[in-house]
Amino acid sequence: MSASAAPLVQHAEAERRNSISIVLKDIVQEYPAPGGGATRVVGGIDLALERPGINMLLGPSGCGKSTILHMMGGVRPIGVKTPTSGSVLIDGEPCDGAHDDSVMVFQRYANRPDLSVFENVAFPFRLKLWRQRLPEGEWRDRVTQILAAVGLADKKDLRPAQLSGGQNQRVALARALVLRPRILLMDEPFGALDAQTREEMQHLLVKLYNDRPCLVVFVTHDVTEALMLGDRVIVLSAQPARIADDFVIGEPRPRSGTWQRSSEAVKLEERILNQLHKVSPGKGSLRVTV
Amino acid sequence: MADFWNPYAALSPGQRKALGIGAVAALLLLWAGLAASGWVSSNRLPAPWDVAAALSYLTWHEGESLLATATLWSLGRLVVAGVLVVAIGIPIGIAMGAAPRINAALSPLLDPFRSAPVVALLPILVMWLGIGEAMKIAFLFIGAVVYLIPMVRDAIRAVPQSYWIGARDLGATPWECVRKAVLPMAMPRIADALIVAVSVMWTYITVAEYVNAKVGLGQLIQNARRFSAWDQVFAGIIVIIALALATYQLMLFAKRKLYPWETHQ
Ligand SMILES: Nc1ncnc2c1ncn2[C@@H]1O[C@H](COP(=O)(O)OP(=O)(O)OP(=O)(O)O)[C@@H](O)[C@H]1O
Ligand SMILES: [Mg+2]
Repeated sequence: MSASAAPLVQHAEAERRNSISIVLKDIVQEYPAPGGGATRVVGGIDLALERPGINMLLGPSGCGKSTILHMMGGVRPIGVKTPTSGSVLIDGEPCDGAHDDSVMVFQRYANRPDLSVFENVAFPFRLKLWRQRLPEGEWRDRVTQILAAVGLADKKDLRPAQLSGGQNQRVALARALVLRPRILLMDEPFGALDAQTREEMQHLLVKLYNDRPCLVVFVTHDVTEALMLGDRVIVLSAQPARIADDFVIGEPRPRSGTWQRSSEAVKLEERILNQLHKVSPGKGSLRVTV
Repeated sequence: MADFWNPYAALSPGQRKALGIGAVAALLLLWAGLAASGWVSSNRLPAPWDVAAALSYLTWHEGESLLATATLWSLGRLVVAGVLVVAIGIPIGIAMGAAPRINAALSPLLDPFRSAPVVALLPILVMWLGIGEAMKIAFLFIGAVVYLIPMVRDAIRAVPQSYWIGARDLGATPWECVRKAVLPMAMPRIADALIVAVSVMWTYITVAEYVNAKVGLGQLIQNARRFSAWDQVFAGIIVIIALALATYQLMLFAKRKLYPWETHQ
């Protein structure tokens, strides 16, 4: 029975992940300014992300990328109305608080120093929400599978302090993906890693994405990273943030070094850099890795 | 000696032990010298060997050990008060740390006691609770809990917000965030608070046993003082210090075993 039911369940799950949308409607965000009044950080953003894919969000430092990402995740800063005006719709429904369609991955991986790698990844299943959804045997299998997928099967009993930065970020990624989210929100996840480890992590992300595509929003400072990973690249302008550019990259992943040096890629890189220089002349911390 | 004024210089365990033992030995020598020289009368400063003799007398004399009985009674009071401190103080501290509203309501009631002379409460406790065990335990409890609660609250608040946000994003209810993300991270510092609280109770034990104790280390010291048996007073103080030190080391050891990850942060 289960032999025939399993593909059906998988099919339904894939279907659910395929029909996904995040829509931002005229989003404005203001924060109280130090001297009174308000600073407009995000100045009217309309954006529709309507299918699985990797969407790169690029912009100068402090332009409001994290603010927008947190909005999509329903994570609200304390004491500030988010968004000031406009609306975030997930699957057409207004999103006004934490929701379980999305999971976030941060630059500082927020792994728990007191828990083993296995327990870090299994953490969501210690919460009522997920414990009710999955029987223990099933989530244990899932944790084991994802640990193998991120290459940490042999490290499952170690603690985060015993891992490298890259391995820690793998733990964070595994904890997010073990929930098989429809939306994955990543805030400069590889920003703190050295160039080689960052590249490894990019390959890993592509592999995991191909296993189970979902809607990824990936914030980065790194133009090369945007070109290597993005199905779509959205460039924001400096404060107040608006969409300065928005384009699609058709090249299939993994993208080779040859493609990276192709005239298409070089043109796109120039296009992004021009845009960023236009919005923040001489400012911002952009990075191009070769 | 290039690393003498260097707070980060690592000492070898041998070096550390030698310096510590050396200092204690030097103090003992100074004490012995003072007592032997006769500059200070033995009424004011009993000689180390007199104190040692008193210690042996208290430990075993005519088939009974005054010291063991006294220690057991004092320890018993301390344990009962300690259990109350843990059972009442820690939950209050956690609640204050985790809910700013509870903190805002309770801290004006609790914070003044940290600087208030807790000893001055003793007559009030006697008035309310009489001169029996309840008064002594209540005194130890109050003396320790006013330190413990703010420390537990601060331990909770010191946990980086990212753990709370992370758990919230994964679908934890606010209470689950506190219970499963913040609290476990605060445990080593809560253990520190408990260690301080127990040390505070050891310093208060003599005061707690000031009024009408029939038996206990504080009573033993007081009784000896009444008869000007200064060697016994010194012996009693040394025993209290030794016990306090031993509990401290034991609790520190237990803490390191329970939370081995803490030092790696
Ligand atoms: N809770 C808050 N209260 C007040 N101001 C805030 C708050 N959060 C963010 N800001 C301000 O909003 C602006 C945008 O912040 P945000 O973190 O979204 O930028 P970012 O694009 O992610 O920057 P970076 O690339 O450096 O991570 C910054 O100027 C920041 O100081
Ligand atoms: Mg940011």
